[in-house]
Amino acid sequence: MNRYQFEDLISEYIENELSLSKRKEFEAYLEENPDEMKLVESVRSNMSQMKGIPKVKASSDFNDRLFNRIQTNRAQLDRPIPSQRTYFGFSPIHASLMTGLVIATVFVSMQLFSPEDGGLPLQTQNFANESLPTLSNPSLQKVNHPQPDFVKVDEDSVMEDQKSKPNQDFSKKMHFVNKND
Amino acid sequence: MMKQNSSNLSAMSLDKQNKPFIYTDEQLIARFQSGDERAYVELVNRFRDRLINFVFQFLWDREQAEDVVQDTMLKLYVKKHYYREIAKFSTWIYTIARNLANTELRKRKRRKTTLLSHMSRDEREYELPAIQPDTGSEVQSEFAEKLIQSAIHSLPEHFKTVIILRDIQELSYDDISSIVGVPLGTVKSRINRARLQLQAELKDLR
Repeated sequence: MNRYQFEDLISEYIENELSLSKRKEFEAYLEENPDEMKLVESVRSNMSQMKGIPKVKASSDFNDRLFNRIQTNRAQLDRPIPSQRTYFGFSPIHASLMTGLVIATVFVSMQLFSPEDGGLPLQTQNFANESLPTLSNPSLQKVNHPQPDFVKVDEDSVMEDQKSKPNQDFSKKMHFVNKND
Repeated sequence: MMKQNSSNLSAMSLDKQNKPFIYTDEQLIARFQSGDERAYVELVNRFRDRLINFVFQFLWDREQAEDVVQDTMLKLYVKKHYYREIAKFSTWIYTIARNLANTELRKRKRRKTTLLSHMSRDEREYELPAIQPDTGSEVQSEFAEKLIQSAIHSLPEHFKTVIILRDIQELSYDDISSIVGVPLGTVKSRINRARLQLQAELKDLR
């Protein structure tokens, strides 16, 4: 046992909390170093002196003053204690607020993205259904706008080309190739 | 009505009752939680002196110590439902008192800092209480007590708390561990080191 180990065990030695083997080791160290016994005795003496320090006592009117304070604050003290019950970690107030918020979010989402309306956002849907306003000036309504001269689909240039070409019969060519063989 | 209530509480005091309580602290707080105010009075009677003595070692002012213990008892009255029987009642009440004493010490420190910052340099040379040996056994023992108390007072905060709880309040290591909130081994080590430091301080003073 060295000096540091000895110092660490002083309190436990004085309070009889050392195991038998440790105690023997401690006492062997004390025999080897008799001067260290002074330290042990000094600590022991301090401990007993601390126990002997006169105790401070409460004044005689301590309870009366305390009970008066309780009475004067009774209205405040008698308030019901807030519930400590929690719902998924939330207090009842916060839980109800959160539930309301979730319901509101779901409702708004359903309104915005309802599948029955073709998946379009509400405003876009309304805009698409709106008919264009008619012109308010009657003079403008009378003007005959020239109709655009769109080419009909069945009369486009590709169709024209196909019309001009005679139907070719490739069966004869096939026949010719077969003759050479 | 209010006066009547107040006198009812005072009348419940054990000082004025013949029949003593035979309940443990934990049974008493359970009774108080279920509405028996006599149990509260008994708890106050059991702990007031112990707590004043404990807080006094930090504050060194009897009146302030008493105020802190009053606040502790008031807190016990108001927050009785916060106690759960997972710890001993004594550890719970000591923890409240210790926290309130620490708050008071912090307030005091702030006040002192403010006062010192407003003082001139000459005014800052304040007097320290003289501790001198005198003749006569009574005076000598009083002198020894003062020496020990001033040595305890000069210890670092974490040493001071454990040494007061162990050597003056005579609490068990387990209870101290719960009050201070550190492991048992640390408590033992702190107490030992505090005793050695105290011994060194007293050796210099004697």
